Amino acid sequence: MSTLPSPIPDFCPELGIEIPVSDIDKELRKLWEQDEASTNASLMNLVVFSEKPNSLIENSGIIRELTREHACRAILVEIDSAAEPHIRAWITAHCHLAEGKKSVCCEQISFYLTGRVTGRFRNTVFAHLNSDLPLVFWWQGELSDILTERLVSVIDRLIIDSSSWANPAASFRMIEENSQFNDDLIIQDHAWTRSFQFRIGIASLFDDPTAKTALPGIHMVEITYHPDHRNSALQILAWLATQAKWNDCECADGFAYRSNSGVVISTILRADPASAPLSSLVLRAEAATVQVTYEIGASHLQKQVEAGSYKATSLSPADPTSPAELVGLQLARGGKNSLYQKILPRFRAMLD
Amino acid sequence: MSNPFREDLVSRSPAEPCSIVIFGATGDLTHRKLIPALYNLAVDGELPTGVKIIGFARRQKSDIEFREGLELLNRQVSRSGQDDKIWGNFIQSVTYHTSEFDDVAGYKSLAEKLDALDAEHGGKGNRLYYIASAPEFFDVILIHLKNAGLNEAKPGCWARVIVEKPFGTDLATAKHLNQVVNETFQENDTYRIDHYLGKETAQNLMVLRFANAIFEPLWNSKYISHIQITCAENLGMEGGRGGYYDGAGALRDMVQNHLLQLLSLVAMEPPTDLSADGVRDEKVKVIRSLRQWDTPEKVAANVVRGQYTAGNIDGNAVPGYREEDRVAPKSDTEAYVAVRLLIDTWRWSGVPFYIRMGKRLPKKSTEISVHFKDAPCVLFNTPNAGAPGGNVLVIRIQPDEGISLRMVSKIPGTSLRLEPVKMDFHYATSFGKGSPEAYERLLLDAIAGDATLFARRDEVEEAWKFIDHIEHAWHQSDTPPPMAEFVAGSWGPREADQLLQQDGNQWRRL
Repeated sequence: MSTLPSPIPDFCPELGIEIPVSDIDKELRKLWEQDEASTNASLMNLVVFSEKPNSLIENSGIIRELTREHACRAILVEIDSAAEPHIRAWITAHCHLAEGKKSVCCEQISFYLTGRVTGRFRNTVFAHLNSDLPLVFWWQGELSDILTERLVSVIDRLIIDSSSWANPAASFRMIEENSQFNDDLIIQDHAWTRSFQFRIGIASLFDDPTAKTALPGIHMVEITYHPDHRNSALQILAWLATQAKWNDCECADGFAYRSNSGVVISTILRADPASAPLSSLVLRAEAATVQVTYEIGASHLQKQVEAGSYKATSLSPADPTSPAELVGLQLARGGKNSLYQKILPRFRAMLD
Repeated sequence: MSNPFREDLVSRSPAEPCSIVIFGATGDLTHRKLIPALYNLAVDGELPTGVKIIGFARRQKSDIEFREGLELLNRQVSRSGQDDKIWGNFIQSVTYHTSEFDDVAGYKSLAEKLDALDAEHGGKGNRLYYIASAPEFFDVILIHLKNAGLNEAKPGCWARVIVEKPFGTDLATAKHLNQVVNETFQENDTYRIDHYLGKETAQNLMVLRFANAIFEPLWNSKYISHIQITCAENLGMEGGRGGYYDGAGALRDMVQNHLLQLLSLVAMEPPTDLSADGVRDEKVKVIRSLRQWDTPEKVAANVVRGQYTAGNIDGNAVPGYREEDRVAPKSDTEAYVAVRLLIDTWRWSGVPFYIRMGKRLPKKSTEISVHFKDAPCVLFNTPNAGAPGGNVLVIRIQPDEGISLRMVSKIPGTSLRLEPVKMDFHYATSFGKGSPEAYERLLLDAIAGDATLFARRDEVEEAWKFIDHIEHAWHQSDTPPPMAEFVAGSWGPREADQLLQQDGNQWRRL
């Protein structure tokens, strides 16, 4: 079917049946008519957009995992702007046994677009959305001029990974500029989701009366992170400062704060190439030390409060690392992601 | 001082570290439900750091023996399986305390143990007592807790109690138990558990009604013909349960608590807020507004009780109720009950609610069905047009939790023929992730001090008041309404069908 050289082979079982774009709806109907035993389930339109070569096949694998828990119509798009204008399309379905008995299936449409694609891309995606279902748009990699105001205006939830951006400050400005007419846009950042269990862990440790009493006396925050995940470290620092109502101050090297009770809080951000995205968060006060740590490969975080001879430790789930797990967690939590919106100004100020 | 890191992170009250004392710790409930629920909370990182669990029971056991028994069952029943590392960490927080329930010294040593645990681990002193023993020990446990001063929270701390069902066997015993409980704990520290309210679909009832604009305008006597609540079980008295059941019966075992709770959620007015008392204020109004069947004649006209005779379930022969293990051969306990209820409020005036609960019915299913009135008798609904019934909204509680809506549609073709079609939402299909067990949610709520999903004193007493009239008519009147019979594996006695037919209705076929 392809007329131009393409990195995707003519027979590509991972993407399903290759069909003319104009036949997508007809072929999808046929797909369901062939198998009456399966249930077609969908709670959202999930568009996965990438300009990385060969991303379609990789993303199809991710969708296969994701649809075990999140029924959706998946629309995968790979763009190659440098090639001659052309479009190829495939359809398939990912089926899983729900509760070990019923076969629940989710549709997937894949597009490979080449050439200058801004308008074609938008129209192609819009034409194949399931009506009435929310549009979750997962933008992989650097932003580009394909992210326009018109595109953002129809997106309900935009999933990004700010850790993958060369210039996060500029990229956040671009989203801000293009989303000014979409007040309801929910932004979900993998960099933020990677610290979810760390934040839950810290929050639960401060339910402990010993830790809670020590909170006003915190004078040091230490975060160890992988160099590729500095944004996760900065976001968790922005979260701590925002929630504890620490004020920025220039009273120490690096990022420093002053608490309402006047205590100066110093920070140590330690980049370690051998670390997980986040491997440790330690809050030190005179009376106690509160810490959450993670060892690469472990299934759980270690949480600990220590004050003199008192020591309470516990385990909690580790943060997800794979893209499918990260998106799965973001979709499972749903909501407005208001905490991220709350810390975003402080985090962006750290980027400048 | 509040915990600022909790703000905006999770949408429920924070759960604080505490010591949980389970009375009746060697029982089935502890092994099959409570410990697996607490373990799964730990797996999900929801169990607060520093929670200690103390099993209190009469049997002599060491901590190690107790833990081994818990592990054996947890491996079999835990919904998330068992991760040895988490289990190893979790089980370290579990200890065993041997004592008779009426032994003063046992409670004194419990108090010392709790204080020692707090001193050792820096616990603040929060206490949650879970009374999971046999009901005859409820009183004595509560009284001894009070005498030992364990009911009183230390400054800045809390002491709460969870009481399992059955909460009394009639109004008098429920009132007595409430009095004992409230002499020991404040009402807002008392959590009367009804695990039906912890089920996902039960929680979704309020969301369905009050978060969707399309249902509430129709949710009244103008548009609704009647509502049915069915709890069908295909099991009988296996596993020795006849001993308990023959003393309780379907009405007291299921209707007084679970089914009237579901009824109150379906029929309540919108609460002013989602606080525990905001919701429970509205629920209790429903129970209080039930028209009372307070004479044997009214009971005979509105309630049907029944027992099954020998029959077949899933192709297997099963005995009749009176032939079941540990059931009296001349038992007059009902294994089936159908009740016609009327709620005397503006919203529900003239709308019958039908509740049925039965053992040895063809299949296991609990659901609420809302039957809407027929469209006007013109166009497609003239008597000769053959429109196949009205719209029905079904809320399935278990199994296969979900919601479906039946509507009428034209069959494709040149002639005008109408058939019912169904729009169906299944939790398991739409949300691949399984729901937590009801006990997980309820235990976490109790630790967090959220009593929304627990029954309040007045709810329990109002429900018993309604039930007592029926029990009195059955067991204490000179002219008791008869006991109907049905063949095991059928959908209940003919008299129950007639109960609806007199209103021009019929039971929904499940």
